[in-house]
Amino acid sequence: MTNSVTGAAIDGWLRAFARLVAEHEDELTRLDAAIGDADHGANMNRGLTAAAVALDELAAGDPPPAAGPRLTKVGMTLISTVGGAAGPLFGTFFLRMGNALAEQETPTALAAALRAGLAGVVQRGKAEAGDKTMYDALAPAVAAVETALAAGGSLADALAAASKAAEDGCAATVPLVARKGRASYLGERSVGHQDPGATTVSLFFRAALDSGVAG
Amino acid sequence: MSVGIVVVSHSRALAGAAVDLAAQMLAGRDLRLAVAAGLDETTLGTDALQIKAAVEQVDGPDGVVVLMDLGSAVLSSELALDLLDDPTGRDRVTLSPAPIVEGLVAAAVAAAGGASRAEVAAEAVAALRAKREHLGEPDTDPGSGPAPGEPSAGTEITGRPPDEPAAHAEVTVENRHGLHARPVARLVALAREHDARLSLRNLTTGAGPAAATSPTQLATLGAQRGHRLQIEATGPAARQALDAVIALAHDGFGDDDRSAEPSAGLASVTANDSVSVTANDSVSVTANDSVSVTANDSVSVTAIGKANGLAAGRGPQAVSPGIGIGPARFWRPAPTRDGAVPAPRNGTGVSGPRPVGAELRRLHEARDAVRRALAGLAASTQAELGAAEAAIFAAHEAILDDPALIGPAEAEIREGHSAQGSWARAVDAAERAYAALADPYLRERGQDVRAVGDQVLAELTGAGAGGPSGDGVLVVADLTPAQAAGLNREHVTAIVLAHGSATSHAAILARSRGIPAVAGAGDDVLRLPEATALIVDGTAGLLLVDPAADVLARYRGAAAEEAERAAAERARAGEPAVTRDGRRMHVEANLGSVPDALDAARLGADGAGLVRTEFLFLDRETAPTVAEQEQLYRAIAEALPGRRVTFRTLDVGGDKPLPYLPTPPEANPFLGVRGVRLALAAPHLLRDQLTALVRVAREHPLGIMVPMVSTPGELRQVHAVLDQVLTAETDGTRPPGLELGVMIEVPAAALKAAAFAGLVDFVSIGTNDLTQYTLAAERGHPGLGALADALDPGVLRLVEAVCRAGAGRFRVGVCGEAAADPLAGPVFAALGVTELSVSPAALPAVKAGLRAADLTALADRLPACLALPDAAAVRAALTPPPP
Repeated sequence: MTNSVTGAAIDGWLRAFARLVAEHEDELTRLDAAIGDADHGANMNRGLTAAAVALDELAAGDPPPAAGPRLTKVGMTLISTVGGAAGPLFGTFFLRMGNALAEQETPTALAAALRAGLAGVVQRGKAEAGDKTMYDALAPAVAAVETALAAGGSLADALAAASKAAEDGCAATVPLVARKGRASYLGERSVGHQDPGATTVSLFFRAALDSGVAG
Repeated sequence: MSVGIVVVSHSRALAGAAVDLAAQMLAGRDLRLAVAAGLDETTLGTDALQIKAAVEQVDGPDGVVVLMDLGSAVLSSELALDLLDDPTGRDRVTLSPAPIVEGLVAAAVAAAGGASRAEVAAEAVAALRAKREHLGEPDTDPGSGPAPGEPSAGTEITGRPPDEPAAHAEVTVENRHGLHARPVARLVALAREHDARLSLRNLTTGAGPAAATSPTQLATLGAQRGHRLQIEATGPAARQALDAVIALAHDGFGDDDRSAEPSAGLASVTANDSVSVTANDSVSVTANDSVSVTANDSVSVTAIGKANGLAAGRGPQAVSPGIGIGPARFWRPAPTRDGAVPAPRNGTGVSGPRPVGAELRRLHEARDAVRRALAGLAASTQAELGAAEAAIFAAHEAILDDPALIGPAEAEIREGHSAQGSWARAVDAAERAYAALADPYLRERGQDVRAVGDQVLAELTGAGAGGPSGDGVLVVADLTPAQAAGLNREHVTAIVLAHGSATSHAAILARSRGIPAVAGAGDDVLRLPEATALIVDGTAGLLLVDPAADVLARYRGAAAEEAERAAAERARAGEPAVTRDGRRMHVEANLGSVPDALDAARLGADGAGLVRTEFLFLDRETAPTVAEQEQLYRAIAEALPGRRVTFRTLDVGGDKPLPYLPTPPEANPFLGVRGVRLALAAPHLLRDQLTALVRVAREHPLGIMVPMVSTPGELRQVHAVLDQVLTAETDGTRPPGLELGVMIEVPAAALKAAAFAGLVDFVSIGTNDLTQYTLAAERGHPGLGALADALDPGVLRLVEAVCRAGAGRFRVGVCGEAAADPLAGPVFAALGVTELSVSPAALPAVKAGLRAADLTALADRLPACLALPDAAAVRAALTPPPP
């Protein structure tokens, strides 16, 4: 499975993501309680649980679908089931990823799909670097994938770099003042808290390491 | 068919209740409405697919207006439009920024009445305005009508049946200038407060009808003093609305200009008229100036003299000395008419159909940006000049929301035109409607539409703030610090501020650039024809319009003499300032930019005693980065190589709110969270700024000065942040050239200055604020100029106290405007101040003044001065007798 982004690999990644979010639901909700409306963990868990069911239905198909359609399916499920701003944001991310990836399986195509997903998040949320949002973890992670692949690294190298970059980006949201979403109403009081959306992004990339996709 | 409405909410219960409220207003009339709310009956959340289905359910040829609650409701709705089965469908959908409850009620009534999508959307947004104006207008009689949606007894009419009875009334316009911008704004606000449709006709001229919610339509009535207006009201609150309009009309539509005599302004004088100066005008003109224009001179000028006391009408105030002569020029935004349109900021070119939603959003974002700018101007004008003067900005804001502008602009955008082109054509059409009016005063109101329209265009095209229309005397309402900072005295010979005051930032900047200026000249100057000849005497506070040849010659002579003296002083500016009794004074510069710093170096500054850093932070959407700050600070320091440059950390308060640092409005921002108080409330901004400064301090002698300090505890907190920065940047050691100090502006800090010993290397007395706080005389109050004088013995005693506390422990400087005062500067020096920091333009004259001073002799006279009752007495005692 190394260096190939098959439908099964993406399936594993998405399910590992769902598992990690379920394990960290309380932590995510706690983070959101500090600067938001205390529902991010529950919302994401609800959405990803539904997404896992949707993946089950897809996996039953013959032939089994490629990576792209699975991502699209998860995206559509999230926009209907998450409820909070993470719904349209993560939903758009996976929709754009799925559309960009389609039937392709190369690591470069995955990098391009991640870039397309990031562009979707920016278009939807209008966030910029330093706004204390999921962007602050997602953008460096996407860049890390591109850099690692450009340097001749394997898919596993690239995803390891992405996971590290997402975690660093996530930690870097702690001292920031939130400028988007519910947390922006808190202004200065949002300083000192890690952004829940960025945390979920770091779980997404950690999930890649826990699953088959990284080889 | 009618416009469909979709309600998007996190909560199904909330959406249902809002729909119930709206349904009360419909009296059984049909409405196409769908709800997309909650993930299920009880789970909060929004679902883009649900929204998509709701939009598709009520979609039709007339389109859909979507009302949303907060956060993900907006994101999910935008996503839903991306997902529509019919991709052209999104062009028929308006996502409304209106508040969900009020907006839905207003939109539902409009849609059920057959209004277009643009009208429904406008009604929804206006619903918020009604509430805002209601709460923001304490003099609005709350009993004058029921709130929207609250039918009153006797008028059991809901919805808007076409045959509903109308109530009528007639009123006479009593306002001197007719129904101009401010009365119109009041009328529009009132009309929006009532659930009634009001329209007006001018019975005298036959003009109309005009909707009372549209400032533009109302202005086209051409209603002048004495005209009879007929008002027609329909709707649930028709009677109440009518009564309220009648009351407003009897109250002069909220404007108190009914009986006022024309002020010494230009309202009744066109540029081609020449009128003699009246004796009343000339009285104060002769004061302390070699040029005199008196009633005995047979000159034909329109002179607007300095107001003589509180009761007299306000005329221009002297705010920046010197004489400037030239043609009248006005602030023009960069040209942005269609045809010569710069590429839109985010545009992809001009061909092909445009994304309607994106263009609509751009227009609304541009209007929002202008709205914020107007609110800022209104707040600062209200603080400096009072509510009456600030009302013009409310009038401008009403233009921004005028359905007669927005409706046509949005309609064009929906046909595929650009936001800027559509807006420009709507503004042009409105301006033409004004130009066709008979009354010259009302014709001029078109300029208000043009002014607001141009501001929006500048936002849309990214054309920036623009600049003066040519070389000469710049005539403007007021200048933002950013605008004033860009002015160049090579091109601007003088500045006339219609608003503003001596202590406004525009005035301080004019002084620092050596541009003669007067402030508070009144709105009438803004209507002078372009290139009218003007003389500005910024020393006497005099504006001469279209002067006669002999007057012009005298002023030219006076200006030449002044220039000669200044040249002699400049020739010696590079030499140190040593007093007659041998004391060496440091004369430093107050700066706000790199060009200032270069000027200061050229004009002999011994350093910079005050670098204002606010300019980096104002007029922008996000905070400047460390790198950006470092680059600018370094450039300023490098302009003054080897000389100490003292940067004041960010000094703003509620009067100058930063978009990226939302602060609640304060009743008195000058006694609120400002200066160090704000810095400690936003430590990330302080940390970034200190980081940039510390980096520059490794290579340049540099001072960091903390403003508005009241207690040593505040300074210790700044020290703690500085220590963190030093740990991160230099392993904890302070660069040898780095000094830390505070500004003394708070009287309590002056009296206990000794408590800062050990914490500071220097203090700098900010005499502007110290004087304001000590004498409880508001900065910029047009009537309190005589009180707000740093030579008041009370202020001088505070300066003396600071110098005593500092002796041998920290250096004491003065960086307020008074440091450049020819009398006050030497007095401060005699009290023990060793550094004076003044605007670059003032450096040569201040040095010349110190060289002529004998501080020992002056010190002997000071105890007597400190015992005098007021500043005027001190000035009299220190002014040398005429030879």
